[in-house]
Amino acid sequence: MADVIHIPLWYLPLLVLLPLVALAAAAVWLRRLAHRQSIAGEEPDWSVPPLASEKGDDSMLHRWDVRCKIVTIMIFSFVIASLSHLAPALAAVGISLIVLAISKACLARVLFRLLALAGFLGILAVVMPFTVPAHPGDTLVVFAGLDWLGLNMRGLLLAATIAARAVAIALLMEPLLSTAPLPVTLHGLSRLGVPEMASQMVLLSHRYVHVFRQEARRMSSGMQVRGFRKQTDFETLRIVANFLGMLFVRSFERTERVFEAMRARGYRGRFPEPVKLRIRPADILIAALWMAAAAALITYDRVIL
Amino acid sequence: MHISDGVLPVSVTIGGYAAGAALAAWSARRTGSDELPKVAVVTAAFFVASLIHIPLGPTSAHLLLPGLAGALLGPASFLAIALGLLLQSLLFQFGGLTALGANALMMGVPAIICGWIFRKFKGRTRLRHMAAGAGAGALGTAMAAIILAVLLATGGEDFFGVAEIALLAHVPVIIIEGVVSAFTIGFLFRVKPELLEHEFFKPTKARHG
Amino acid sequence: MHEIDEAIQFRPASGNPIFRMRGLSYSYPDGVEAICGISTDIFPGDRIALVGQNGSGKTTLIKLLSGLLKTGGGELSYKNEPLDGRLLEQKSLETGVLFQDPDDQLFMHTVLEDAAFGPRQQGFSSVEAHTAAQRALRQVSLDKMAYKAPHNLSYGQKKRAALAGLLAMEPGVLLLDEPTANLDPSQEQVFLDLLKNFPGTLVCISHDLIFLYELCDRAVVLDQGRIHHDYTMRELVSQRHTLREHGLDFSFRLVVAPQVPEHGKSPHENPHSGGGRVSDRTPKQPVVAMQDYNHRYPDGTLALKNINLAIEKGGRVSIVGENGAGKSTLLSCLVGLRQGKGDYFFSGNPVTRKVQKKLWRRVGIVFQDCADQLFCPSVKEEVSFGLRRLGCSRAETEAGVFRALSMVGLEGFEERVPLHLSGGEKRRLALACVLAMEPELLILDEPTAGLDPRGEELLIQILRDLSVTLLLVSHDVFFIRELTGRTLVMHQGHILEDLPTRDFLTDERLGNLNGLAYTYRVQNTRDIQTLQHEHEHEHSHLHYHLHSHPHRHGELVHEHPHEHAHQHLHRFVHRHPGQGEKHDHAPRRYHEHDHPGHDKEPHDHSHD
Repeated sequence: MADVIHIPLWYLPLLVLLPLVALAAAAVWLRRLAHRQSIAGEEPDWSVPPLASEKGDDSMLHRWDVRCKIVTIMIFSFVIASLSHLAPALAAVGISLIVLAISKACLARVLFRLLALAGFLGILAVVMPFTVPAHPGDTLVVFAGLDWLGLNMRGLLLAATIAARAVAIALLMEPLLSTAPLPVTLHGLSRLGVPEMASQMVLLSHRYVHVFRQEARRMSSGMQVRGFRKQTDFETLRIVANFLGMLFVRSFERTERVFEAMRARGYRGRFPEPVKLRIRPADILIAALWMAAAAALITYDRVIL
Repeated sequence: MHISDGVLPVSVTIGGYAAGAALAAWSARRTGSDELPKVAVVTAAFFVASLIHIPLGPTSAHLLLPGLAGALLGPASFLAIALGLLLQSLLFQFGGLTALGANALMMGVPAIICGWIFRKFKGRTRLRHMAAGAGAGALGTAMAAIILAVLLATGGEDFFGVAEIALLAHVPVIIIEGVVSAFTIGFLFRVKPELLEHEFFKPTKARHG
Repeated sequence: MHEIDEAIQFRPASGNPIFRMRGLSYSYPDGVEAICGISTDIFPGDRIALVGQNGSGKTTLIKLLSGLLKTGGGELSYKNEPLDGRLLEQKSLETGVLFQDPDDQLFMHTVLEDAAFGPRQQGFSSVEAHTAAQRALRQVSLDKMAYKAPHNLSYGQKKRAALAGLLAMEPGVLLLDEPTANLDPSQEQVFLDLLKNFPGTLVCISHDLIFLYELCDRAVVLDQGRIHHDYTMRELVSQRHTLREHGLDFSFRLVVAPQVPEHGKSPHENPHSGGGRVSDRTPKQPVVAMQDYNHRYPDGTLALKNINLAIEKGGRVSIVGENGAGKSTLLSCLVGLRQGKGDYFFSGNPVTRKVQKKLWRRVGIVFQDCADQLFCPSVKEEVSFGLRRLGCSRAETEAGVFRALSMVGLEGFEERVPLHLSGGEKRRLALACVLAMEPELLILDEPTAGLDPRGEELLIQILRDLSVTLLLVSHDVFFIRELTGRTLVMHQGHILEDLPTRDFLTDERLGNLNGLAYTYRVQNTRDIQTLQHEHEHEHSHLHYHLHSHPHRHGELVHEHPHEHAHQHLHRFVHRHPGQGEKHDHAPRRYHEHDHPGHDKEPHDHSHD
């Protein structure tokens, strides 16, 4: 039978609302901080962050062969995802933080990434303690007078583990992506067997996301100056649909023009290779060290705990 | 909603990657290699469209658009969606690297199905088009929500509650998507009906009958 | 009736043509003929201006020449070989096409990679391609931007980067589609210099005949897919009737040419330029007043510094300044899209957050790219959109739509799709949408961008007749002069000067600062004016006719063919090189004309 701890009802707001408030405050704070440090546009929703910093940072991760980097970080991410206990997951966060420090990544962008996770993880943290079924050995917190609402500490632990795993992986994204120009990273991917066209498509999309975002922003201010304000009503949906329709029509037209421009400059189904890649022994060494850390984590998670 | 890293069991994420890759390859073959750069550009537009927030009482929902993508792009929609999710994960950390395959399945499979449904039922009039659009939009999101719930539930019974709530949370989004898709299709029917008539990306090989 | 003068070729074939077209045709997939029966040659070193109204097939012809479209009929050969298949692939590496929108063309991740794309496709190694790309970027002075992503560039820089992508391939032929559309004057000058230095063959589409006059020597006029004229640029600009016939008459702009300094005041004072000389009138309640207004971008750059501005009711004010001077930021503050720090009064009331949200009811703005403003499936819905937001009833909306559309000359367009309208019609529709809301202040951001001369003429007529307070942002000296009486000169976020438009136009120092002193334009305008100088002139044209009509000789009425001569007046385009000298006619003196009714004219003739 699960251990049941009875506590007075007034703890409920304390236990549920306080974390929520704290989380919201943290999110707002992160957003402020990230905003102050970034050059994002007016509306944060529209801003598309850059993928590579313009200043030529240099770190061990910048010099690391991009194929080794991708493979290592991918494997490590899956290893993190497979951890089932909180302690190793927290250790993984620690490793990620160290890597982050080595890579000299831009703090604002890391914060943005964490911020994007906050919503999903926040929901998990609130929902899971109440919905996880009680098992023998679980600790339940039951509020006086609300017997049906049992707060399962195992759910909280589960949510925390998930959050730690997600954060550990998210922290690795900046070291993975911003330590080399995107074309190089993608070229590395295609040298690893991903079809070249796939990485070219990513590049093209990435390029035109910026173009369309500017287009969409101009269109939305065009609507604003004629008095459109989003509300929860049918009319808003209709106008948003017009907006979408217009965006699509313009994008389909642009698509044709882009393709023509490509052909006019000799595009025949292939893009040129951006760089020649070379693997040095040091690259392998770093990969091996990192993999050893991953193995240690797994062992800790599966064997020791 | 996208599933973030660290939620799904590793076996499911890897399975998702495998299935996603297979479907993406199928989608690319159906689209034809000449058209792939175009798919990439259109994906950018869908990406931007999915950043639009619609106010919903005190909160807001952002559009998912699997139905609309299916209706406009046909089989290429899976590729477009996978690409869009990858970008999202690269740029914003929505979704996440390990869950990419699963997320692509969650949005892409409904898109393909909805594309087929839309083409089957769109008829000739504007109203029929809009009705088919509404159906595709709502169904696309509904299917995405169901797949999301199923994927979450693979985590074991601990996740059943989360899956249920995720499913419920999608109900208003399903309605919004249906309405927006219907109006968008209606708009396109008047402004640029060519986009709805045939698949924008013609497959290189003749369709097998 | 207008005649197609294909008989008169620009020049006799000298050497081998690069492009040879014989009966070249092309139809769109929907069956509409875009190009029909074009026969001409393009020789190495030609600089051809391809002109014609919107929709006359210019862009299609360029696509045919570049091999992007397959010919629909007739013969098109490139360097004596028919243009198809393998040759087409090889040729596209020798021909550069500059498209209108640079974003279409910059599809790679960085400017450098983009410039290197062409050479890589030509088969050069990575190192060679990057050297070529660097060289091309230096040519367009973008070498410092080489590692930037295209979306971080300004419009003018993007346009130059797109050109660099072509120059890196060292093409023999450059095909340019509206190379200077939307560029500010200094950027345009840069572009012009680049193109003038290009050694190869040029084919350039543009509506800007003054620009073309500077760049090209041969003019090909297209109309509905056919070549209507093919002669020298001088002949084109000197023949006003031809220009008018093809909707290209830009002569209404020519009055702009600033007079020689001695003349001082401009002879052409617009009666509507009321807002000028604020100082010598008792100040009325200003519609807009800004004091010490600053705006900082989120990244910390100060976009507006210490703006002090007052526009009185009914005033007509223009803002000039180079790209990036802060004009657009100022506009978005004025309409309430952004908020800066400082005092902003609208009609005497301070603009607080709350007022700012409602500013749209009182300020109307037409964007530079009006496609950004049109998002409804029909013209009627488009115009009624704003009215509905204002809370007008159905009947009021209906009336408002009708009124607004008739103001801009778009009556009967209610059910048309805005997206399918021509550029000029879209611009007028965007204006109608704003006018329907009866704004107290009307802001126009670059209203002439992308319009053909006919569209410009229509637009200026409409704007002249409006009685609203007007704020015009433009690079276009002609519009500034025609529409406004007061000019604000912006530079790096400041308002440098606030002076009557007339003084601004004669102040060369300010012109230089903003790159508005287009020396070449002034020179060309004068040249063209002398070429076009049109006046009624008595030419004794002796016409000998043989004709018969009844006439009387004393008692005898009879009819017989007879020859007679007569004299009449002609309007004739010709130029005067100087006073006292013999004047000189435009190159094609021969022209056809008929003499209506001269049979009936009384005349004498002898009977031998």
